[in-house]
Amino acid sequence: MKITVRLQINGAEARFEVDSTERLVDTLREKAGLTGTKVGCGIGECGACSVLLDGKVVSACLVLTAQVDGAKVATVEGLGKAGELSDLQGAFVREGAIQCGYCTPGMLMAAEAILARYRRPTTEQIRKGISGNLCRCTGYAKIVSAIRKTAGRRAIQRSGR
Amino acid sequence: MKALKTVGRRPRRLDAEAKVLGELVYPSDRCLEGMLWVEVVRSAHPHARIESVDTSAAAAVAGVVCVLTAKDVPGENAFGIQIQDMPVLCHDRVRYMGDAVALVAAESRAAAREAVARVRVDYEVLEPIIDPEQAMQPDAPALHPGGNILHRGHFQKGDVEVGFKKSAVIIERAYQVPMMDHAYLETEAGVSYYDDSGSLTVESCGQYVYRDQTQIARALGLPLEKVRVTAPYTGGAFGGKDEITVQIHLALVTYHTKRPAKMVLSRDESIVSHTKRHPARMWYKTGASKSGKLLAVWCRLVSDTGAYASLGGPVLNLMMEHCAGPYLVPNVSVDGFAVYTNNGFSGAFRGFGCTQACVAIESQMDLMARALRRDPLAFRRDNVLHKGDRAALDYEMKTKVGAEATIRAAGRGKLYRTRGKFKRDRSEHTRSMAPYIKRGVGVASQMQGLGLGVGLPDYAEVELNFSPDGAVTVRASTSELGQGAYTAYAQMAAECMGVPLEKVRVVGADTKTTPDSGTTTASRTTYAVGNAILMAAGKLRAELDKRAVGLEGISVRETFHLPVADVKLGDGLPHLLYSYGTHVALVEVNTLTGEIAVLAVEAYLDGGRVIFRTGFEGQSEGGVAQGIGYALFEEVLFDRGRFLNTNFDTYILPTSMDVPADIRTVPVEVKEDTGPYGAKGVSETCMVGVTPAILNALHDAIGVRFTRLPVRAEDVLRAVLERRR
Ligand code: FES
Ligand code: FES
Repeated sequence: MKITVRLQINGAEARFEVDSTERLVDTLREKAGLTGTKVGCGIGECGACSVLLDGKVVSACLVLTAQVDGAKVATVEGLGKAGELSDLQGAFVREGAIQCGYCTPGMLMAAEAILARYRRPTTEQIRKGISGNLCRCTGYAKIVSAIRKTAGRRAIQRSGR
Repeated sequence: MKALKTVGRRPRRLDAEAKVLGELVYPSDRCLEGMLWVEVVRSAHPHARIESVDTSAAAAVAGVVCVLTAKDVPGENAFGIQIQDMPVLCHDRVRYMGDAVALVAAESRAAAREAVARVRVDYEVLEPIIDPEQAMQPDAPALHPGGNILHRGHFQKGDVEVGFKKSAVIIERAYQVPMMDHAYLETEAGVSYYDDSGSLTVESCGQYVYRDQTQIARALGLPLEKVRVTAPYTGGAFGGKDEITVQIHLALVTYHTKRPAKMVLSRDESIVSHTKRHPARMWYKTGASKSGKLLAVWCRLVSDTGAYASLGGPVLNLMMEHCAGPYLVPNVSVDGFAVYTNNGFSGAFRGFGCTQACVAIESQMDLMARALRRDPLAFRRDNVLHKGDRAALDYEMKTKVGAEATIRAAGRGKLYRTRGKFKRDRSEHTRSMAPYIKRGVGVASQMQGLGLGVGLPDYAEVELNFSPDGAVTVRASTSELGQGAYTAYAQMAAECMGVPLEKVRVVGADTKTTPDSGTTTASRTTYAVGNAILMAAGKLRAELDKRAVGLEGISVRETFHLPVADVKLGDGLPHLLYSYGTHVALVEVNTLTGEIAVLAVEAYLDGGRVIFRTGFEGQSEGGVAQGIGYALFEEVLFDRGRFLNTNFDTYILPTSMDVPADIRTVPVEVKEDTGPYGAKGVSETCMVGVTPAILNALHDAIGVRFTRLPVRAEDVLRAVLERRR
């Protein structure tokens, strides 16, 4: 039996017919064509599938699409565009926080959640905030500094306002 | 030399924007019209004889298009980088849990998975061979026609007995290092289809498209030119995608169905099926004089290569080659064995044998320094190899040796110079906890052969194109695994063609459109492809002087052959070129809980001149994380040949909380005369020394020598309790 689910993905309304067991990550990758969200483990351990669900970071491999009817989903594809990277994406590029890049989309979503939660996160808060996102290539150092610098820049922007 | 414009700088990675936008299409993201999903039926036992395979129930599942078994392999049913001893689909026997017995292709992944469960295989279960020592006994059942010893080696320099007689200190220890998974974040994946010209095309995740092409063509009985392989980008590899993974299976399905096909391994399947870092046991006896001169190294190295050869022979060769570290030792005796068992399957992994040997020799060096009451760095420096010296296996070091420079740089670094202060600091702890906190600083030094070594074909061909609008295109068949090599290629091409970096494009890893640049392994690509780029640029500039650039632009090709040693001791043995490194680690141990924290690491790395500075640091920082994993967390566990931990809930990787925020990478740029702009490579040496530096720091902290990896909190607690007794 198919269930009809409505989602708002990166601001756009979408409708899907899904089985009750379909995972959100598969809906995104296979039905919505949003392959920016990755799969690394399928059991909620690696964070490659991290997306924001109504503003909270979740592992999309653990969410059933049928459970989240009406939710707002934010994926990496909604962050920026070619030539118009978001400040966070720009910082990842400048700091060299990317190697194979397979963890990057999930890392960016986890980082957005940290930045939404703390105005000026400490290094420890950042390290904790991304501890659910595995990266096998970078050793995390440049990822942490990209997030810290983005927080700094956002704080300056806020105070300038 | 005039000032360099792009080489040595920090440009943005060429692929950075596509990666942060989520737009880069990885093998697992590919989707083709009308494609089939392929799933593999893997062995139910670590060792068994196949009595029969019944696919009828599987074939009857709705949506299933075909079920393939050994009889459907049209060519040679065997593959392997060096020795083709691994079946594409097993027909009579299975030797590990990852062995493939049948393939299912279906309209949906769900249907394919359901059908996998319905393939009925009857086995006669055989006793698994799990202990390499027993496997070597003459009466042990043979896993392969040649017996269970895949490869053995014995090398001797001087006379160790004489060396030990003269020694004031002799240290004897046995070391045990675990099987390690590469744990690249993207599992093995790819698609296959017939392209417009009728070539069976496999877009996948390998590390050497031309070798994959050969392996696919051989198994399918096709001429090489009928097979095309691409693999420009993948989500990490570290050696684990060097051997064939999904490529032949994909090709087989498309060959039989004439339809596009897709495969993505689940994490469990990935861990069970692909090659690993060889688990090894290493017995060492080393001696030094009272004045602190190394006099003898004796060792016996046994590596468990698992079910099939892959690169088990060359890995053992490098383990033997690097058994005495970057040191001058007058008397050496080494015996090595690579042994078949039913414990999974091992092969290439960052460090390639050096990783294992370095754990042992650097622990021995530390123990000897302690016994002699010598400063551990000074002891290393006093014994270090120099150009012109004879290495452990008794050949001459003919290129610049940067080992001493990295040791001296480490000695000048903050961590080592002011280690007393770091070790005393308890400011992060409460007064009641502070007495239970112990800190230590450890060092390790190492060398790492660059390139495939003597006796193995090792060359890189590239194509350079100059177009009428002044753009330069580099075509090379190596893969971008994350290491940043394409950016380094572009920097070198921009530099030597005198164009801005924005004008350079890199096209990679396609047997149809890029020339054969060799493997993406062995720390070789920046050096090998870089040299070919320089050669091609010279030719291109000469052409540009001679004639006008037509609409097509001008293309040239050049091939660089890696220089090799003038002696041959074995396959890939020895090397002419090495990278060097010295690591310093600060660890903290909580003796109440046993918890270990790595607080800071400094890496002094001689990879020659640095081309892409951000990439160099990135390799180093990632190497530190993997070295921490090897030291403290990672081990593939077995119960009589059956895998026990096959996903990230039980196979534990270092997280952002386990890797120090404080990693300092200091390039020690000993320029290599034969390198492009003086470059060598760094992608292995950046990891190998980290693990023993941590072991040595643990010893410094709590006075306990750990000889078995990984060291877990419970091991620390047990050791601390034993010492109190
Ligand atoms: S794929 Fe969802 S957490 Fe790993
Ligand atoms: S960049 Fe490869 S996993 Fe993070």
